[in-house]
Amino acid sequence: MDETVAEYIRRTVLKIPRDEIKTMLQKWGFLSEAQLETVNFHQIKENISQDVVHLCEENSADIKQAAVLDIIYNHIYPNKRIWSVYQMNKRGEETEVFDLTDFKKKFKSRLRSALKNVTINFREYEDNAIWIRIAWGTPYTKPNQYKTSYVVYHSQTPYVFISASVLKSNLPLLCQALVVASNYHDIREMELRSHSLNSLKDIVFKRYSQNFQSYYPRPLQERNVAPETADLRIIQENKSEKERIQRLNREAFGDGPQPKLEFAQYKLETMFKSDPKMDVLDKKEPFRCLVKFSSPHLLESLKSLAPAGMADAPLSPLLTCIPQKARNYFKIREKKGLLPESFVSP
Amino acid sequence: YLFFSLSTPQENTDPQRTAFLLRKQWALYSVTPLYKFCDAHLKDYARLLSAFIAAEKQKGLAVEIGVELDIKVAVSSVPDLKGSDRDQAAILVQLSLRSPASLKNSEEKLVWSGCFCCVFGDHLSENVPEDFTCLPLFLVNGAESYTSLVGSWFQKTFDCCFRRLAISPLNLSWMATMWTGCKVDKSTSAVELIFSVPCQPYPLDISYAIHPEDAKALWDTVQKTPGEITQEEVDVFMDCLYSHFHRHFKIHLSATKLVKVSTAVASAHCDGMIKFLQSKYLTGVLMLLTELAISQIQ
Repeated sequence: MDETVAEYIRRTVLKIPRDEIKTMLQKWGFLSEAQLETVNFHQIKENISQDVVHLCEENSADIKQAAVLDIIYNHIYPNKRIWSVYQMNKRGEETEVFDLTDFKKKFKSRLRSALKNVTINFREYEDNAIWIRIAWGTPYTKPNQYKTSYVVYHSQTPYVFISASVLKSNLPLLCQALVVASNYHDIREMELRSHSLNSLKDIVFKRYSQNFQSYYPRPLQERNVAPETADLRIIQENKSEKERIQRLNREAFGDGPQPKLEFAQYKLETMFKSDPKMDVLDKKEPFRCLVKFSSPHLLESLKSLAPAGMADAPLSPLLTCIPQKARNYFKIREKKGLLPESFVSP
Repeated sequence: YLFFSLSTPQENTDPQRTAFLLRKQWALYSVTPLYKFCDAHLKDYARLLSAFIAAEKQKGLAVEIGVELDIKVAVSSVPDLKGSDRDQAAILVQLSLRSPASLKNSEEKLVWSGCFCCVFGDHLSENVPEDFTCLPLFLVNGAESYTSLVGSWFQKTFDCCFRRLAISPLNLSWMATMWTGCKVDKSTSAVELIFSVPCQPYPLDISYAIHPEDAKALWDTVQKTPGEITQEEVDVFMDCLYSHFHRHFKIHLSATKLVKVSTAVASAHCDGMIKFLQSKYLTGVLMLLTELAISQIQ
């Protein structure tokens, strides 16, 4: 077995949490149950990985098989990578039946015709997701197994999720190969990025509960019996404001859990406007700003702002439109004409 | 503060001597006046501090240092680092690691720097008895373990007290405003304000970066007298930025916590950290920090 393959398998096993190693190796299926029985999965990871490498040597593992283990790891832990979303477009309305074999053949041949040194692996999953792992080399060097790009393509949809990793220069080639292989016309990058692959899928496949307009007043919630004091009137006002905020929040965000995004970025090129009394800047040029929001769960934290008193309800549509518009990168310019207060996002 | 003049570059300082402060992250402390400190004895202090560190290492209290490595202590004066002649010149303490294997031609690696300074600290030094030396601002770059070693020795020897210097949102607003107004050649650094919103269960961080030319243009219309800044002007400037933000996002930045400001001149964090980026304004920023340190002591 090649030294580099052995090292690659060793490092891949080390990434896996100890309790998950056996299950993942079983999913991999390269080592037999009998072989797995010989490994003590309670020892330290360094030793487990050494044992696994020895067994792989017995079976003469090559890079293709090692790559499959890497796909399995990334499929279970996709959130370690950052994913961008791309949308492909077809010319015309024809819907062809998707042929997996044809797709794989065309994809490989397109990539290889431009770059001989690539390792390409495919793995299909039940939800019609095709996972593609590409390790990139150069015309003069073998593929670097640590510099990989991942593609997740749901063949029933025009969407592709790409985790390009370091080699951005290979991205155009990758996109071209996808378009050719899937019989589409072109591909464009959506302004949507996150670590949470599932949340990105939720957003583009509209699998989250969307906001709605409520025309019926919501039934008032059970009140705690307030002490009988003269303050009763004040408490009531506050309660109705709280309820108003909750209702507007629900309308903006919907009832269900929000898709998980970690950031949103806004490039503002709007005019600075102030109270004319303040006698400050009144330029004809845009006030250029870059605003970034970040959070472990951005949409949930934005949802909590108005109830906490940090924001007005309803929250700005620039923020609440993120799931529907399926983007978290925006460029905002002033809308010319009748409504100076509104913004356009190209 | 009601008035605070923008710094003018010092004519007689050699920027080379103070360049070591630039582009590094410094942790800030306030230090109470040092009792019976004498700047003629710096070499003795270096020797004593070195012995102290060696003793602590024997006790097993020093961390991360292999038995082979030797710590060399240097204590020097930085005469260019002060405001007026009434200020005590800054004192620089440096710890380097030296491998004894190649004693003669040993490579020394600087691992820790601590700088005591006072820039225009008159109102502290005026009110302090003769035996005391005022160096209220302490800047540290390096591992925490060394900081506590050096700090303990100074505390024992000069009966002083170190406290981490917190920078309030109010002071950060001042810094953002002041530094926005500074003339900087070819600046591509935005004026960036970072806010923390501790909402539960998922906290939110907001970075609000304004193009430096646009921020300066706004400030120029707010500032009434060049060279002077009033609290009112700072409030107007910040309110303008907050209301521009609110117009777009409906979020009240004034209800959140300003934790960091970053400009071409310097960047400052509320936990008491600073990065100096322009030698031209080094003295000015140090003057401001000295002021904060003195407030914390008093």
